[in-house]
Amino acid sequence: MRLTPKSDTPRASGLGISRRQFLQRSGATTGGLAAAGFMGAPMMQRAEAAEKTAWSDAPVETKRTVCSHCSVGCGVYAEVQEGVWTKQEPAFDHPINRGAHCAKGASLRQHGHSSRRLKYPMKLVGGEWQRLSWEDAIEEIGNKVLALTEQHGPDSIYWLGSAKFNNEQAYLMRKFAALAGTNNTDHQARICHSTTVAGVANTWGYGAMTNSLNDIQNSRSIMFIGSNPSEAHPVAMQHILLAKERSQAEIIVVDPRFTRTAAKADSYVRLRPGSDVAFIWGLLWHIFENGWEDSQYIDQRVYAMDQVREEVATFSPEVVENITGVPEETMRDTARRLAENRPGCIVWCMGGTQHTTGNNNTRAYCILELALGNIGKSGGGANIFRGHDNVQGATDLGLMSHSLPGYYGLSEGAWKHWAGVWDLDYEWLQSRFDQNEYVDGKPMHSSGITVSRWIDGVLEQEEDISQRTRLKAMFYWGHAVNSQTRGPEMQKAMQQLEMMVIVDPYPTVAGVMHGRQDGVYLLPAATQFETTGSVTATNRSIQWRDQVIEPLFESKPDHEIMYLLSQKLGFSDELFKNIKVEGTEPLIEDITREFNAGMWTVGYTGQSPERLKEHQQNWHTFSFRDLKAEGGPADGDYYGLPWPCWGTAEMGHPGTPILYDTSKKVSEGGLTFRARFGIERDGENLLADGVFSRDSDLEDGYPEFTDTMLKDLGWWDELTDAEKTAAEGKNWKTDLSGGIQRVAIAHECAPFGNAKARCNVWTFPDPIPKHREPLYTSRRDLVKDYPTWPDVTSHYRLPTLYRSIQEQDVTGKYPIILTSGRLVEYEGGGEETRSMSWLAELQQEMFVEINPALANDLAIAEGDMVWVEGAEGGRVRVKALVTPRVAPEVVFMPFHFGGMFQGESLHDRYPEGSAPYVLGEAANTATTYGYDSVTQMQETKCTLCRIEKAS
Amino acid sequence: MSMSMMHAGAARRLLTLLVLLAGLVLSQLALAQQADPGREAAFAVPAVDAELWRQVKEGETGPNYRDSRAESTYNLVNTSGETWRQIRERWVSPFGAIAVLGMMAAIVLFYLMVGRKHLDEPRTGRKLLRWSLVVRSLHWTVATLFILLAITGLNLAYGKTLLRPLFGDGAWSAMMSGTKLIHNYLGPLFGILLVILLLRLLSHNIPKAHDLQWFAKGGGLVGKGHPDAGFANGGEKVWYWLLATAGLAVIASGFVLDFPNYGQARDTMQWAGIIHAVGALGLTAVALGHIYIGTVGTEGSLEGMTTGYVDESWAKEHHNLWYDEVKDQAIPEDQLAEHRQASQGDEPAPRSG
Amino acid sequence: MATMKFMCDAERCIECNGCVTACKNANEVEWGVQRRRVVTLNDGEPSEVSISVACMHCDDAPCIAVCPTETLYQRDDGIVLHDKDLCIGCGYCLYACPFGAPQFPKQNAFGERGKMDKCTFCAGGPAETKEEEYQKYGANRIAEGKLPLCAEMCSTKALLAGDAQEVADIFRQRVVQRGHKDGGWSGNPRADADSLAYDATQQG
Repeated sequence: MRLTPKSDTPRASGLGISRRQFLQRSGATTGGLAAAGFMGAPMMQRAEAAEKTAWSDAPVETKRTVCSHCSVGCGVYAEVQEGVWTKQEPAFDHPINRGAHCAKGASLRQHGHSSRRLKYPMKLVGGEWQRLSWEDAIEEIGNKVLALTEQHGPDSIYWLGSAKFNNEQAYLMRKFAALAGTNNTDHQARICHSTTVAGVANTWGYGAMTNSLNDIQNSRSIMFIGSNPSEAHPVAMQHILLAKERSQAEIIVVDPRFTRTAAKADSYVRLRPGSDVAFIWGLLWHIFENGWEDSQYIDQRVYAMDQVREEVATFSPEVVENITGVPEETMRDTARRLAENRPGCIVWCMGGTQHTTGNNNTRAYCILELALGNIGKSGGGANIFRGHDNVQGATDLGLMSHSLPGYYGLSEGAWKHWAGVWDLDYEWLQSRFDQNEYVDGKPMHSSGITVSRWIDGVLEQEEDISQRTRLKAMFYWGHAVNSQTRGPEMQKAMQQLEMMVIVDPYPTVAGVMHGRQDGVYLLPAATQFETTGSVTATNRSIQWRDQVIEPLFESKPDHEIMYLLSQKLGFSDELFKNIKVEGTEPLIEDITREFNAGMWTVGYTGQSPERLKEHQQNWHTFSFRDLKAEGGPADGDYYGLPWPCWGTAEMGHPGTPILYDTSKKVSEGGLTFRARFGIERDGENLLADGVFSRDSDLEDGYPEFTDTMLKDLGWWDELTDAEKTAAEGKNWKTDLSGGIQRVAIAHECAPFGNAKARCNVWTFPDPIPKHREPLYTSRRDLVKDYPTWPDVTSHYRLPTLYRSIQEQDVTGKYPIILTSGRLVEYEGGGEETRSMSWLAELQQEMFVEINPALANDLAIAEGDMVWVEGAEGGRVRVKALVTPRVAPEVVFMPFHFGGMFQGESLHDRYPEGSAPYVLGEAANTATTYGYDSVTQMQETKCTLCRIEKAS
Repeated sequence: MSMSMMHAGAARRLLTLLVLLAGLVLSQLALAQQADPGREAAFAVPAVDAELWRQVKEGETGPNYRDSRAESTYNLVNTSGETWRQIRERWVSPFGAIAVLGMMAAIVLFYLMVGRKHLDEPRTGRKLLRWSLVVRSLHWTVATLFILLAITGLNLAYGKTLLRPLFGDGAWSAMMSGTKLIHNYLGPLFGILLVILLLRLLSHNIPKAHDLQWFAKGGGLVGKGHPDAGFANGGEKVWYWLLATAGLAVIASGFVLDFPNYGQARDTMQWAGIIHAVGALGLTAVALGHIYIGTVGTEGSLEGMTTGYVDESWAKEHHNLWYDEVKDQAIPEDQLAEHRQASQGDEPAPRSG
Repeated sequence: MATMKFMCDAERCIECNGCVTACKNANEVEWGVQRRRVVTLNDGEPSEVSISVACMHCDDAPCIAVCPTETLYQRDDGIVLHDKDLCIGCGYCLYACPFGAPQFPKQNAFGERGKMDKCTFCAGGPAETKEEEYQKYGANRIAEGKLPLCAEMCSTKALLAGDAQEVADIFRQRVVQRGHKDGGWSGNPRADADSLAYDATQQG
């Protein structure tokens, strides 16, 4: 008997009642009394009796996979019978989660089988959705892309990729865009942790989480600033609460909202949104004042702390209180807790990153931990919790408009490196790009437009865009649109495009908010459970996913779609030159091997498919405390070979569980700070001072390894002949044999050098981080002393406004601070999770959190419908949730909802049967302009709004 | 005093001191060993303090109470549920059974000892119209419904103890489903009809002074002769007013229980359940008495409610005041058929107090 | 014989609702019926605390006492199960239950509530075939030697399920770690220093 996949019967449309319990039931049912009420109208709209998965005695295949929602990377045992995913078992032996899940992970099985999936390719004709075949879809889309490229150049197409790709797909997408001749590609990291990566990498070398979730168990203090793991990374709380219980760790939460994490904290500090730098400087003021800093650590491993001292000296307690709202006593108390409880770590997420000053914030956090001497220690660290399940991987694999896989950048050297790895002629590759030069330079070497600004890529004056034309067509490949700001303008931009192509397991908000009649395509992509590949968790561990089920309906895995498109566009031979294609599906392991061959910068070279699969099959041998395998086939490795995993797979590096940890040998996972910024500056030494990783043959700071350096050290002859050939004229990043790295590590030296972390990033707009008010601020009195930057003519190809926006005082009309954030039941734009009934049932309505005092001022009661209007006029109609969580001057909206637009339901615009169970206004319809000065990150954590009761 | 005695004295003092000291230490230990639940709780779950316990115990659902169950109005712990269970299982159920069974036993005993109340005077053969067709229809419908509701109600209350072993599991489920259907669907009907019946008979049942006398004489059981009685005697009025109070309470609570679609809280339902049970069981017990008296217990009564007509002698004996008012309207038996024809059997019953 | 119980450590519960959806995953109960719920007191206030509640499988269950049809019954291992074939939807179990565990799919006139559904401790219920058991009651993990999925998947191991003694032991360990060196047994006449020996510096 063949099991047919059972689906959840679609629920009748309309909104039910939220779990946050707005309506008192009497209010809802008195109306029903007269009509259907008497005979018993159901309390709320109920589905027809939902069919359950049929019971089967068929043999069970257990597949190992990883949750596809957030980047904690929880292990999952998926039990499949006759091709149907019938059961989900907790993976108690998985070293990261030990079987634990949050609401999303616990309902994962429904992700694979949701009946609201996009089932077959569709195209919008005369405002209606029509089904078409894959062949026709590829043909039409391909023809359009070719025509547009011909007419307007390759930069007229935007290839927006996804943090939900696995590593292989992310890498392939970047390569695809490159071969299509454009840098106009990006993914969710831009609007998530781009400021982190930029700020942190420019401080000490790599921009990723330094320690691991497991290692947090060893922390004596943990400060969460702009991070709410209880809702965004619940399973991380397992480790955090263990630290709290076993080591009596101090948990400090700094947030404008009293979050669920704050409920578990020892100390909660309410912060004004956008005042992070002032807060950190305020802490450092007390730390320096009391001599609590780790002077030896600073002398040996940090550059320019004195310049920070000068800046911090201007942030006396009164100044800090004025800017942040935090009183002196609390600041001193917090600083003392951190100082007295080391090693400690700092954790930040969107609360810190999503600002125009994001790059300042992230660097300030790093500087704090450097001052305390917490970096490079077990229990310490800058612990950055990434968002989507593979946003770390997609970032590392270069799916960004300003770089290539491995963060090589877009210089000629970078392109030549990758051309070499791809086995393609550099000149040919160069010829794919627009050869003209614009304000930012030549398109091949200038950062493309970012996802946060794509709408300006469509709406901006063409002469002001640093490429030939505006964007004409856009691919929304696994990326929501309701996570970007300025919804009303986005709708306009969508209408001006000549073609929109949405490639996703679900139609997404992009499929329905455009208001177009035609020119929109929906291509059903398969989820990560319908394919195989590797994924990188927030702690840099790479995990391998088994394929659980075959692609449902007519969906195809993303890499197959890339193959079909590249074939139509005429570069599939080049794209898959060294990648085997079986039928129309590229072999995933070949893709892994290809990026293994090229990503020397971040050490994605040692994680071969074979090693990753071995780790997956033996995840029970890895320790819950430090992720190390003691015995077993992977003895000595760290789980997932956290990058950098130096050298080739043959070299067998165990991975680096804690970055910058000099207590270990490099060959056993130790590391120094990267020598990335030169050897000296202004006469000061930038290399490490008398400190080095364990057993290092070089007992002082040293620059990054090049062939010359090896020769000077007399180690050149330790290379094999083949390695010598490859390494000649190269350095540790470009030597494709890996020999330079191997020899360096044989001497227990870090291939990337041994330097100091730097507090001064001289290439950034603010070399020492400064406090600057948000563009839309309610504190007009602070704008004079802490203004934003002047407007920029061109950044990532677009003019970017700062001061001209901040100069306008809109507080008269928009007096309330608006911030946004996450809910535990949903993820990202929410189309995926709102299409799962088990999750949707828990959060049925969009809402805005309003403090009771503010609610009284506005005459709003709990459960009232209100209009929230953002400072640029976008309005959303949502339900009021009155709670003391937020301060009286701040309101909060979750950003996961979509499917309603400024009061109007878009339900009927979805293809039949694929509307999510729950629709709601998108918070970002009301958010505003504001972009980070280094990465173009959007400022979604602090803007202004007004609220009034809806009639 | 010898040296040894001095030493002994010293030794004794030392011993005493040691004992005292030991006692002090031990008592401290004992104190330290005493249970301190508050302190323990503070370590076990520091997040939960006395204020929170109070909120939970009192079932508070204040403005910042959230429940993940959509549309739920439930508090965290509803302590009234156990209270309701205790009241129901330890008091209402047992005493209800005692009431009903006790009444049955009392009636049997009474019948065996006192026997049927026969007519004092022989029948005259002349009939008086007592109950109209409307009232009779109402009465018998209500009575049937009452009996069905009583049986099904008793089944719901006691069935699992008595009947499940009897019926066996197979039929048990079907029988209980049927029981509930009958009880829940007939209940409202009963309620509406009873109210109509009560309204109809209200004027007959206004309490009068002579009713007290009727009770003093035990309804005629005490002493000789019959006490005064109007259309309805004291006993009947008591039955009427029981129905008009407890009966209405049972009906009202029944509606509350039977229509949960108006979102009644659990506490409301618990109260309604108690009222319903106490009232219904009480009424059932008393109804047994009413049934006995109206059928076996009193000669000449039943025919009034079946045919509508009662014999003169019965009327004179049991409802003399009423008889005095309507005796002129007595109809000889043989003319009854024609009379009925002409009036189509639905003339209003002669009224009196 | 083991006595099966739930225990939710409110100190660790972060209201992630993993238990709620795990239950749905294992038992596929319909929209609107949630066997397990997470309650938060003082939401948004400094004293905020959350706890996960479902059927507590009481030793002297009020629901069993008041049910007119003996739908509810208790196994030797303490798990309280229900027989949907017998349920008449009267609602008494719901009124008696302190935790609001029984749920009904409807709430219509004439007391039509449908069949009661509640947490089964993932031990299924009475049925002829496994297929029928799954359709009516959901998973029977106990029969497979497993524990309820809600507790197995709890994100912070706040929700514990299993033999009452073992659950109590786990909780006691936590109490000690949280600072109560006596292990919460002060006043217990059977306690002595050796049996309570637990070195809180031992990470285990």
